[in-house]
Amino acid sequence: MHQPLCLLDSWSQENNEAVNKWKQLEGGGDALTRDQSQNHSRLIWCSSEFHKLLRKIQGIPPIADHTQLELTVVYNACVCSIAQSQFSEAELLLTRATERVLQMTEDDSAASDPPVFWRTALKSVGNTALKPRVLYLLCLQWAIWLATCQLKTIQGFQDELLSVFETLSAGVWEEERSASRRKSSDIPLLVMDQRRLIELLQICTLIAQGAERLSEGQSSEALSGLHTASALPAPRTLIAYTHLLSGSCLAHMSRPQMALQCYRMALETDSRCVCALYQSMLIYRQLGNTQAEIQALRLLHSTLMLPSATEPALAGAHLLPPSLLLRSQSLSSLLSVPAALSVLHSLALKCVLHERVSEGVECYLDLLAALHSEDQHGVHAEGPPLPKLPELYLQAGAALLMARRPADCMALCDEVITTSLELLPGKVVLEEPVEKCEAETGTLCAEGEDRVGMLLWVGAAYLLQGHCHIHLRDWKQAVTHYTRCFNLLVKVHFKKRGCQPQIPSADMVGMQGTDLCILQRLKGLSLAGRGISFTQIDQNREALRDLQLSMQAFPECTGAGLWCGEVLWRLGRRREAVACWEKTWSLTPQSSVQSLSVYLQEPQSGPLLDSTELRRRIQELRPTLSA
Amino acid sequence: MERLLSGDLYPSPHRLSLCGKIILFDCKRASATHDSERSELIFCSLSFEREVNAFVKAADGAAVISRKRSARVDVVKCKCAINVQKRVTTPCVLVTKKSKKGLSFQYSLLTLSSSNRLESCIEFKLPYQMRDNVSILRGPTVAWSHAGNVFHASLQTGEVRQIPLQLSHCVIGELPLHTEQVFVLGLQSLPDQCSNTHSTGQALGYFVQSGQVFDGNMILPHPYVCITRCILVLSAEKVDDVLKSAVVAATSNQQLVLFENGIVKDVCQLPFDQPENIQVVNTGRNGCLLVISFHQGHVCAMWKETFQIASHWSSVSSVHVDDFLGCGTDQMLLLFKDRDLTEPLEKFLLTDLCGISYSRGQDSGAPTTPPPPPENDLLTLRALESRLQSGLTVLQELQREMRVKSRVLQQSVQALTNAVSGRETILSQHEQEGLVALWDCDDDDEDEKLKDEKTQDMPAVSSQPQVDKLWHRIAEERLVVGVMLTTDSSVPVASVSLSILTETGQSSTPAVIQAQSQVFWLPAPCSSSSSSSSSLPSAHTFSEPAAKRSKQHNVGRPTDLNTCRLAVTAVARLTPLLISGCVKCRVMLHYVQRRDAFAGVSNPTPVVLHCGQVALDIHSNFQTQLLKTPELKTDDAREDLLSLMALLDRWVFHIDSPDHSLGDVDSWIHKLAGCRRIEASPQYLLLNSSGPSALMLLHWHQISPFQGELSVHASQLQTLQFLDSLLAYLPTSCSIRSVRGTRGQGAAQMLPLALEKELVSLRECVSLLLCEEEEEEEEEKRKSLGHEETPEPGSVKGLQRCREVFQGDVERSKTRLSPLVDVWRYRRLTQNMSKLQLDGDLAALLDLDAQRTLLS
Repeated sequence: MHQPLCLLDSWSQENNEAVNKWKQLEGGGDALTRDQSQNHSRLIWCSSEFHKLLRKIQGIPPIADHTQLELTVVYNACVCSIAQSQFSEAELLLTRATERVLQMTEDDSAASDPPVFWRTALKSVGNTALKPRVLYLLCLQWAIWLATCQLKTIQGFQDELLSVFETLSAGVWEEERSASRRKSSDIPLLVMDQRRLIELLQICTLIAQGAERLSEGQSSEALSGLHTASALPAPRTLIAYTHLLSGSCLAHMSRPQMALQCYRMALETDSRCVCALYQSMLIYRQLGNTQAEIQALRLLHSTLMLPSATEPALAGAHLLPPSLLLRSQSLSSLLSVPAALSVLHSLALKCVLHERVSEGVECYLDLLAALHSEDQHGVHAEGPPLPKLPELYLQAGAALLMARRPADCMALCDEVITTSLELLPGKVVLEEPVEKCEAETGTLCAEGEDRVGMLLWVGAAYLLQGHCHIHLRDWKQAVTHYTRCFNLLVKVHFKKRGCQPQIPSADMVGMQGTDLCILQRLKGLSLAGRGISFTQIDQNREALRDLQLSMQAFPECTGAGLWCGEVLWRLGRRREAVACWEKTWSLTPQSSVQSLSVYLQEPQSGPLLDSTELRRRIQELRPTLSA
Repeated sequence: MERLLSGDLYPSPHRLSLCGKIILFDCKRASATHDSERSELIFCSLSFEREVNAFVKAADGAAVISRKRSARVDVVKCKCAINVQKRVTTPCVLVTKKSKKGLSFQYSLLTLSSSNRLESCIEFKLPYQMRDNVSILRGPTVAWSHAGNVFHASLQTGEVRQIPLQLSHCVIGELPLHTEQVFVLGLQSLPDQCSNTHSTGQALGYFVQSGQVFDGNMILPHPYVCITRCILVLSAEKVDDVLKSAVVAATSNQQLVLFENGIVKDVCQLPFDQPENIQVVNTGRNGCLLVISFHQGHVCAMWKETFQIASHWSSVSSVHVDDFLGCGTDQMLLLFKDRDLTEPLEKFLLTDLCGISYSRGQDSGAPTTPPPPPENDLLTLRALESRLQSGLTVLQELQREMRVKSRVLQQSVQALTNAVSGRETILSQHEQEGLVALWDCDDDDEDEKLKDEKTQDMPAVSSQPQVDKLWHRIAEERLVVGVMLTTDSSVPVASVSLSILTETGQSSTPAVIQAQSQVFWLPAPCSSSSSSSSSLPSAHTFSEPAAKRSKQHNVGRPTDLNTCRLAVTAVARLTPLLISGCVKCRVMLHYVQRRDAFAGVSNPTPVVLHCGQVALDIHSNFQTQLLKTPELKTDDAREDLLSLMALLDRWVFHIDSPDHSLGDVDSWIHKLAGCRRIEASPQYLLLNSSGPSALMLLHWHQISPFQGELSVHASQLQTLQFLDSLLAYLPTSCSIRSVRGTRGQGAAQMLPLALEKELVSLRECVSLLLCEEEEEEEEEKRKSLGHEETPEPGSVKGLQRCREVFQGDVERSKTRLSPLVDVWRYRRLTQNMSKLQLDGDLAALLDLDAQRTLLS
């Protein structure tokens, strides 16, 4: 009679067919021609195939002959489940399979605690032929622990896991290889090379542990682990991660130069490791090396703009990508990189603030163009959010003015004004922020913030336009715009707790960077600008008034101080003039001036007073003073 | 089929369906008179009326089973079975009558005739009560198992018979065949069998009618026998005495398994435990449903084609499959449990899950068919999704191919139009097109480098290199002679080689023995002539056949000549030496002073230096010292190593793994069996697994975590074997490139030889062709040329003459540019040439292959 194919053989065949099919898909075709979804569907197909087979195999009571095959299929099915992030399902598979093995060896009641369970399983398997297979399953359990960030469990199980590696490396692979060479059709195949899996697990564990220790502040302990990790055989990306993390450890141990070396190594290892570039940029910033920082920012931006930067390396080429196993919060925060636009903005700002105005302007224009072209997507990426659009416009405008492109600056300011003017709070609404604000902290409440912020933007836009006109030597227009700015600003009333709302004055300014501070600054600058404009059309009285008011609102305004002296000089009040100049020179420039937006800085382009000339005048005057 | 009963042994009610009717059986104690009580079996047949949406009584009747008062009568089971004699399907009901003492049990199988009369069919007595696994099968036959034995009683036999096999875990079923329908499957119970781990248990089958024993694996693989709770044979046929069957079995592991010829085809997880019965519903065009009823009133229906659960119900008292509506296809009738069983069939669902659905007494609110478990949805979805994806893939591939083809077409058209209009066609790079070039076109860089090196400034001082030591080793059939040299670093030498001269005693002219020479550069300090730790970083081979090919000497790297210590070895076959009866050989060192290197090949000044004599002892064996103890650090060990390196073929592999780091290859090699480090030169590892023929010297040089260079000194086969095992260790994505090394001479020279041959034969053929045509003319010219005196190029006049001669030549060749030749000869020429060119191409390909990747 016809002999039916033995169950074992047919199932073995089924398993091998599925594995071969997967391998074929994995190997065939280059990465470019395959996209993620296709791969995913293939994975799903494989997974269902293995699960179906496993259902068949586990449908009968455990038989010693079938165990080898069963554990192989469990391994394959489990790898597929893990690859689909179905960790609990995979864990269930593992426990069920191990329980079945235990059932065969001895009727031990399995413990529910995973480590204890695995220890009993390993013990009961002993040194039989099944041991490697059970160890493979343990590796998958390890992978699940790693993927679910149970580093403590791994730590507790470290010895066993190390011994797994030792056992498997000591010839087992060779044996398997030679065995598979002998009769490849009968040996159940594995869908993922277990040695690669162990290598991956080892380095991923070390990386995850390193990140964890780093976040706990144990930098030096982390460093040693990372050092061993960097010598392990592993994908390029992961080697780069070890260097990156070492760099972060060194940075934490305040060794910025060594950290930079590590980041460089990370980049050399894997050019896609943009986080290394970002971290080195942070180090340069910390070190105050602005040129290097700008360079790093530029590199970072251009790297981020590459299409390959965003997609993960080896996308889908492997069953278990490292990203699946590295999911800890501490690591992902280290690996996060701000969005390209945010980087571009920092770059622009840095350039403008550090005498690279033309580059800064280009960056700003690129940024605005990018924002216009993709205003929906791209803006909401991780990392620090971009400033609001009017803010960006104003910064770009200020940069343009610095680059002596007043017409462009004015166009941008016009944009801000036209979009916001209708939304500006009217007179009635004006009292609102005053009602709710808290004078102690100087912060204005959230509800009023928008309106006040908008008002300040429009004010700043007028101010910039005034600056532009000064630049163009169109004094009358300048006066008009400064007046508009000032008129807008005086609408804001300030209310101290328990007091009546009042126009804020300079002595109420508490912290830098607050709305109140910005308001006072804007006032001071607009008055100064107007005053300077008046001086140019020989309206010295008006000029003097404005400049003095400006100095009241914003005492640090050097332009106002110098010009005030000049006006006084012109009016013949020479002593006052000298006093005014000397007072202005004695002012120390504010350290925190950089924390303010660019457009709030004093303009560099207006009519200038030659300080040597002024000093000469003082010298001339001195004898008369002393006399 | 097996039945697990709990509590009440035979639960009422007993129903069966036949010909669109449902028949109810019940036992009733009817007290006819006060003292005599009789037990009756009553039946009632109902049929479905569509109009009233209810079952109405069609017939009823009763039969007296026992008139004894003490006897207790129960219905064991009822089922339709084919009456073989009458050849009709009749409803059968098995009734038990228990004696008062409970010692004997009277069983009788009653059949309901077409005239609605109950007739006794089989009667037998048993000393025990049937517990489980009672089946009423074709015949009618009653089969049951008791205490490890299977019994059966049928109309034909009329008595209880025992199956002559000791079976554990028996499964009783019937095959839809003409003969041998009723079978019993079981595991042959061996005395020492454990409960669970029966590794080699044989599944045996037994045909009840014929008593034939067959292989049970044909129907059900043996591991399934003991877990099968119920079985249904979907189809069976005998082809050439081979049983082909399709069987579904519900197992105790909550699975329904489909077997075809004893092979598991499909598995479906069942939603409930303890399956009791499988029935098949033929819904016509919509395919077949399998209805599985479970203990405790669960029922589930699944599509036979997809093997997916279609629906399931709970608290069902019985399920029947028949054409209740008389529409030609089967429906299933689910009778639900009711708390008060006043009216039979008050609560039912009649459906085929394909449009027909009649129900009564069911809660309107509750959904009649709860949705199947989500995993089934998911599986279906996945299946659909994957099919969709694969379709999409095919489509995309087709589109891609189309794009490529249209591009090629476009380019061709473009090129054609350009050609027509006379414009130049700019061909795109092959990389851009995603094509792979079959040959490399950029080899000029190398040449330029070499030129640069040659034009380096060289000191003009010359002095002899100093011979430190001369040694020799004999290995198998070969002789290795080595010289340690110290040269002044300011006087570099090139093209260093050794040659061995035989001293044939009386004869004054010594003969040169064919030897292969190699140079090893030892990075030892110049001042100390006796180096303490000499390492051997690089070796260059100069093959030096008797007919010296001088060009091969240029292979060496002249830049390395700054190092001043070197070892030169020569390997020669031992046999010619011994034939000539020589015991002493002279060793000569050849070299070229470096300063001549850039003066051109025209006037090299080769220097020959006599190094000394070597006395051969045929009994000395090869370098046992180093092989036994590689830990030795003596000079002898160093010499051993050098001669080993000279003897073995050398292969250098560049290993590059672009996206996976290589790990610690050195320690991996070190862990190989029989691998030991050579202390005299610690970067070399000696792999000495078995005998001198399997010797291997390995040197791993890690360039970066992703790149390394491996030098192997071994035979070709061994190298391949080693590389094979190394490949298993290395990442899959890595590439191994053979950089350089001493390959077999034949392979290395194949290309140049082929090219040379091609060139020579081309010249000869063409000249022959032309010569024969214009022989006289040639003759004449040769004469005329011979008469003229060769012009001296120095003088102006001479120059003028030269120019004239040249112009004359040009004129002549112009006139001869298109000579007339014989067509047959020309054809022969082209044929010969194409043959030769083919050889050349082949050699080039082989060479390219060997150079690029030894192993891909």
